[in-house]
Amino acid sequence: MNITVLGTGMTVFGERWETSPRALARDAVKQAIVDSGCEHKHIQALYVANMLSGMLGMQGHLGALFAEELGLSVPAYTVEGACASGGLAIHTAVLGIMSGQYDTVLVLGVEKMTDHKPEQVSSALMGAGSNEERLAGATFPGLYAILTRSHMEAYGTTEKALASVAVKNHYHASLNPKAQFQKSITVEAVLRSSCVADPLKLLDCSPVTDGAAAVILSKRKTNTGVSIIASQVASDTLGIAERESLTTLIASTRASEKAFIQSGVSQKDIQVVEVHDCFTIAEILALEDMGFVKKGEVGNRISEGEFTLGKAKQVVVNSSGGLKACGHPVGATGVKQIVEITNQLRGRCKSRQISNARVGLTHNVGGTGATAVVHILRKDTI
Amino acid sequence: MISPVKIWRNQKHIAKQLGQTGKIISWSLIRVPPEGFSEQAPYPIAVVELTGKAKILAQVVDWKINELHRGQKVKTVVRKTIEATQDGVIPYGIKVKPI
Repeated sequence: MNITVLGTGMTVFGERWETSPRALARDAVKQAIVDSGCEHKHIQALYVANMLSGMLGMQGHLGALFAEELGLSVPAYTVEGACASGGLAIHTAVLGIMSGQYDTVLVLGVEKMTDHKPEQVSSALMGAGSNEERLAGATFPGLYAILTRSHMEAYGTTEKALASVAVKNHYHASLNPKAQFQKSITVEAVLRSSCVADPLKLLDCSPVTDGAAAVILSKRKTNTGVSIIASQVASDTLGIAERESLTTLIASTRASEKAFIQSGVSQKDIQVVEVHDCFTIAEILALEDMGFVKKGEVGNRISEGEFTLGKAKQVVVNSSGGLKACGHPVGATGVKQIVEITNQLRGRCKSRQISNARVGLTHNVGGTGATAVVHILRKDTI
Repeated sequence: MISPVKIWRNQKHIAKQLGQTGKIISWSLIRVPPEGFSEQAPYPIAVVELTGKAKILAQVVDWKINELHRGQKVKTVVRKTIEATQDGVIPYGIKVKPI
């Protein structure tokens, strides 16, 4: 693979009441274009990642919409894979370049969630689940709560260990000026927060977020670049009931195994990862399922600071604050993960910079693991 | 919302799933429900392994808190699933009840 990340951009994530999806997109894309040194005329295709616009805003056809908004008369595509839409759009864009069709493309992830009532957002997000799950009145917190309970029973994972994921990610977000929650929290605050779906509490859950992120990918090499060296996708059953195990997201394992083979790197070569922590349990599952730690061991190691900035032994997890604290505008998340890892590898993250970051990984999940997308990025040596 | 045609099509499958027993594998109590379920909340949902080994995800009805645990025996029952649609068609579906 020979794909360069030429430029990145993202909006401030949060409750952006005053800002339209078009304005969010313009903001993120303008930053990416300036960062890349490209002009509009260099961009040959647009890939838009979004999940909810059709269901909540009655607006489909986002490829054409944003091509027009951004002044790009190029082929434009919308890619949807629930909360993995962003990662899937990056993957699709990579394929577009690898096919030889395009040299340089723009990927835009954008989501506007706060315009709608919480129960409507909750129902629309369940579009990522199975019909059986919808008829049961399941929610994503509820489905991940079922996985949490199984994990607790199988491995003795505690509510405190779950809380330590939120504490770490809020600490990282406190150093990120674009994060939704730029404040630290305590384990006690997580444990005291109201229950959403037992045993998951409010502060175990990622928020409802507005935001956009943009990335320009190219086969052109630069002196200060970052390359995508693996891009892989795997699928699993839409609903959780059909699965053999409720303590593993097997799609994460499969996508990461393929990505390690494709890139030739292994877990120990990686210094920074952005994983899909839509709920605290999801970060634990991600680190286990991709082989960074053994099943059942990760909980205590997170609370001991093993994956925290400044304390980490080997790999820092979710330096952006993750979905949990940087925010989770669902279609934008997978693109934002590429933005964060690229900025880490370029040494641009200021107070949350990981020293000597050379190789990074992104892990983006759709639904309860029916889609998993893994990318591995490497700092180019001059 | 759910189309009346889809409700009609799904209801043909309900009979096959009735009268089965199984046990709870894992569960959660939904306190913040999606649209159309607010009158039922809080309510449990569970992954249930039926006697024939097939697994389903279903809402638990007629429950007491001490019946929410791994291994709890349940049977499938038919219940209204969600508020009626604008067309007035009431969607029914399979739920499970502790036994």
